[in-house]
Order: sequence, then structure tokens, then C-alpha cells
Amino acid sequence: MSAHIPVSTFKPYRGEKARLARAYDYLILVLALFLFIGSFHLHFALTVGDWDFWVDWKDRQWWPLVTPLIGITFPAAVQAVLWDKFRLPLGATLCVTALLLGTWVTRVFAYHYWNYFPINMVLPATMLPGALVLDALLMLTNSLTITSIFGGAAFALLFYPSNWPIFGMFHQPVEYANSQLTVADLFGFQYIRTGMPEYLRIIERGTLRTYGQYATPLSAFCSALLCSLMYPLWWHIGKWFASTRYLTKI
Amino acid sequence: MKTHFKTWLLALIGLTVLSGLPMSSAQAHGEKALEPFIRMRTIQWYDVQWSTQKFNVDDEVSVSGKFHVAEDWPISVPKPEASFLNISTPGPVLIRTERYLNGKPWVNSVALQPGGDYEFKVVLKGRLPGRYHIHPFFNLKDAGQVMGPGAWLEIGGAASDFSNTIKTISGEAIDMESFGLSNGIFWHLFWGLLAAAWLIWWVCRPLFISRYRMLEAGLEHELVTKNDKLIAKLILVGVPVLVLVLNEITANRYPDAIPLQAGLDQILPLPAQVNAGTVNVDTLKAEYNVAQRSMVLQVKVDNRSQSPVRIGEFSTSNVHFLNPALSLSGVMTGDNDITSPGLSIDDDKPIEPGEQRVVTLIARDAAWESEKLDGLIRDADSRIGGLLFLYDELLGQRYISSISAAVIPKFS
Ligand SMILES: [Cu+2]
Repeated sequence: MSAHIPVSTFKPYRGEKARLARAYDYLILVLALFLFIGSFHLHFALTVGDWDFWVDWKDRQWWPLVTPLIGITFPAAVQAVLWDKFRLPLGATLCVTALLLGTWVTRVFAYHYWNYFPINMVLPATMLPGALVLDALLMLTNSLTITSIFGGAAFALLFYPSNWPIFGMFHQPVEYANSQLTVADLFGFQYIRTGMPEYLRIIERGTLRTYGQYATPLSAFCSALLCSLMYPLWWHIGKWFASTRYLTKI
Repeated sequence: MKTHFKTWLLALIGLTVLSGLPMSSAQAHGEKALEPFIRMRTIQWYDVQWSTQKFNVDDEVSVSGKFHVAEDWPISVPKPEASFLNISTPGPVLIRTERYLNGKPWVNSVALQPGGDYEFKVVLKGRLPGRYHIHPFFNLKDAGQVMGPGAWLEIGGAASDFSNTIKTISGEAIDMESFGLSNGIFWHLFWGLLAAAWLIWWVCRPLFISRYRMLEAGLEHELVTKNDKLIAKLILVGVPVLVLVLNEITANRYPDAIPLQAGLDQILPLPAQVNAGTVNVDTLKAEYNVAQRSMVLQVKVDNRSQSPVRIGEFSTSNVHFLNPALSLSGVMTGDNDITSPGLSIDDDKPIEPGEQRVVTLIARDAAWESEKLDGLIRDADSRIGGLLFLYDELLGQRYISSISAAVIPKFS
């Protein structure tokens, strides 16, 4: 009770005013949800794209590097607004949930019903554990710096292990055509993708490969570092967006 | 208000779906999209055949054929260092179960050698009933898609007849159509419910206007309660621990998991089939007569075989010009191939063993225009490529030579 402004002057809304404020809450929430479903999903599909679409693109090197890096952008921006103006620690979780809703709709309708791919070949990855940690950390520390460093890192580091329960089984080896393939590779071979021959997959390319077995942890740490930089960048983008556009009227 | 909301919802779902559309459907038929010199001077298909064109879901069908990789590979097209023999389908209405190049099992991309000869076979299995126009074609890295001849396939039966079970190395049989699906949905629901609980926990209270006012009034400490902090601490510790434990459990469950495979296949060309040396053909000159839609080729044939040969066919980019003087019933391939009796030869007497003769071939058909091959004469690279088939009618032998020359347009 040691605020600068005397508490006695603050009067919470009651009656009709409170009801209107509540209606406004829901309106904003629904609009925000659809805005994020549309924009974040589009942003994600255009950048992470094939890594998130196909089971045989989810490699140990580029997938855990690229996905969190792009995945942390909108959560950081939305957190900046929701925490800064409203002390609502749910920006990251809300964004990632919206992304997943959009992704699932696309996978089921566009990939499965329209283009006949089995859904298990186009299962999306989840970033919800990282988003929950990001929200909780921001709330507890109320610090952009700490959330950037530790939250950004956690978001990247948690990505691969939280998806392994979904995708690990697709990495079982299969003997096929006199060679060893993963079940995921076999999906890519059997279920014909006209526009995407196997050579287009960006997997196991680049210098990280020289570290052999440690490719995944190395990619994850690399991603953690980049996420720690990406987070404050998008936090500021979010703040700029909010201050100039939407919140001036409240 | 409600109806508006519904329209919006539908529109948004529509947009979302569109934004994530895979590219495959748009690219299915690009047979005439590439420049003619690329279609004529990269992969030169011949003898392409389907085992059957009418079959049922879950039945196997195969397409086999041969191709010559042009030695006169265009300078502007990257060399075929990673090439993938694909099948143009509207999505996986068929699945590819086996593929062979020169008799060897072939899963990944391969480096092709210009001048090399190859034979392929792709085994497919019907998945969705329907009637589809299907081509084998090559994805050439950084160059595009070079189409092979197309054929109509009619797949009967019901989609539910399809099955695709494979065996892992550990001997477990898995159904590719559903493998890992319920598991994946389970984990998405699991984390989705936790996230929803966290969201609902906050959304239940007055949100934007009232929280903004309280924050402005300095009541920040009332906006985040003790319980909130307790839950946040639980998340901060519990979620990472849970993630690591689940990861460990999965890792123990699939101890022999391997990374995605990324190797190229290594398959060498066959002994020479085209330009094998017995009958040599040298292209001296090529002219395209625009008004007559005919390609006039002057070639020198050197017959070093033991018996007389005759020129039977000139083919380029899946257009076959046949010499009507020979009865070449076996030459026909896929039904979308253009087969024309438009090949005439100025001196069509058999070329005797040991004889060298300069002959003029005229390949005349509207196909030069309809297949958009005549664009060659206006292109930056106006060299033609193709295959010339010569027949030894006594021994039933066939000799194939590649044709390549710069084309000079004639407008009268
Ligand atoms: Cu076609």
C-alpha cells in the first residue's frame, strides 16, 4: 500500500461500467486471438516453413535452430504490450496457442483434406512449454534483461526436448532399398511431393556437422544465444507498435 | 453481430488455410514451362512405359523407361549434380514404394553424368481413386523440372482399401497412415491444456481497461497476487523438469533413433546405349522453317555395323517424329506423347555397312508450335537436342544417336 498515488482516489468500475469493460475485454481477446492466428501463423509459415510442415525436415541441426528463433518474435512483442500496460503475463502463451490453432487448421484442411497428406506426416511442433516459462519468468522478475537472457535461452533450449516425445518415434531406423532410413525419411520418399525433391531439404548442412553427436545441443545453444538477442529486439518492436497505434485511445 | 462474427470466422479460417497451402498442387503440370533448349538438351526420355494404366487402390503399378543425359548440356543450366526422379501427381494419390536406377535401389538424389545412359523403374501404389494425368519427371537442382511423357491413370476401388505397413529394423510393423498420430495429438493436447489453464487463470478476471487503470493508479502489487506468483514458480521449475523427464523417457524408449538421412546415392551410367559407336551420326546443320513448322536437319551417318540401317525416328522433348516408311509399332509410349508420322528423308535407301552418307531429314509437325518448342529460335540459347533412332531391319537392331546443333530460323 505504498504507491505514489493515494489509493483512496482510485475507484474500480462497478455496475454497467464494469460490464462494458468486461465486454471490451472479450472483444479485444477474440480480435487479438484471430490477429495472432493470422499474422503469426503466416509469419511462421513463410519463415520456418518446411521445417515445421514436414516430418522429414525436422532434423537435429537446423530445425532446433530456426524454429525457436522465429517462434520467439511475436511472443516477445505481445508480452511487451500485455505486461507493460496491463501486467498480464500471458503474451507468449497466447501467441503460441494462436499459432498452434492456425497451424492445426492448416494441416488438417490444406494438407490433409485438400492435398491428401496423412496428418502424421505434417504434425506441427510445439513451443508451449517454452512460452509458459517465458511468461512465468517475466511475471516473477518484471525485468526485460533477465527475461531476454534466461527466458530467451530457455525458450530455445526447451524446444527440442519438448518435441522429442512427438517426433522421436519417427527417427526409428528402417531398412529400405538397401539402406538405412528413418521412418520420417520414408514418409518423404513414399508420399510424393511434386515440388519438393529430397535434395531441397536443408538438413545436415554446414559446419555444425563436424561436431557429430553434439549437433543438437550445439544448435540449441546457438539458438539460445540468438533468442536472447531476438527477444529484446521484438520486445521493442512490440512496444513501438503499441504506443503508436492501438493504445493511445484508452 | 453473430452472423458477422461467423462470416469473419470463416474468412479467417479460409485465409489461414490458404496461407499454409503446400506448393505441390500448383506445380503439378509445368511441362511446357521451361525453355525449349532445356527440355530438349537435358534429360532425353525414351521407351517410357506404364505396366498398366487401369488399376485399383492398393494395387501396384510401375513406370519404367530410359533416358539419355545430353552431352550438349546447356551452359546456363547447372550440371545435374543432385537430381531426383519424381512423379507429377496432384498430391500423394499414389505412393512411391520402390525406385530403381540402372537396376539399383534408389531412394535419394543422384548425380547424373552428361552423356550418360540410364534406365529407371518406379513402383507406385494406388492410394486415392480417380483419374489422373501423371508424368515421370526430373527435379534438377537449381534448374527446374524436366517432364517425361504423361499418361492417364485410372485408379478404381475405394480409398479405404489402401494400406501401407512397413517394418522397422527392430521388427515392429507400423502403419504409415496413422503412425504417431494419436501420440502427437496427445502431446499437443497435453501442453495445450496446460497453456489453456494458464490463460483462463488470467482471463477470468477483469482485464484491459481495469488493469490499465489500476496500473496507472500505482496499484501494481494488486494485479499479481501471491497465488499467481506461486503458480508461476511452479511453472518455472515444473515445466522444464517435466520436459526433460519426458524427453529422457522417449530417448530410452527409442534408443536406436538415428538422425534424418542426408546422403546422395551413387549410381554410375550404363554402358553407352546412345552414341554407342556402331552407327555414328554427326549433325551438320539445323534449320527451322517457321512457315512450314519443320525442322530440317542435315546429318552425316556412318554405318559401321554389319548390315544396312534406316532412319526410323527423331524424338525431342517427348515429341516423336516417325518415318512412315518403316513400321515402328513398338515405338509408341505414353498416351500424351506426341507421335507424328512427319519425318521424311531425302535419301531413304538403306545405308549400307561401311557407307557414309549425308542425308537431310525433315521433321514436320504442328507440334513444334503447340509444344512451344519453336521458341528456341528467339532464345538466348538456340541449340536443338534430340535422339535419332536408326533400325537394322534384318537383325531387328536399334541404334540411337544424339543430335545437337545450333538452329537457324528460315522465314519463307
Ligand atoms: Cu500431364
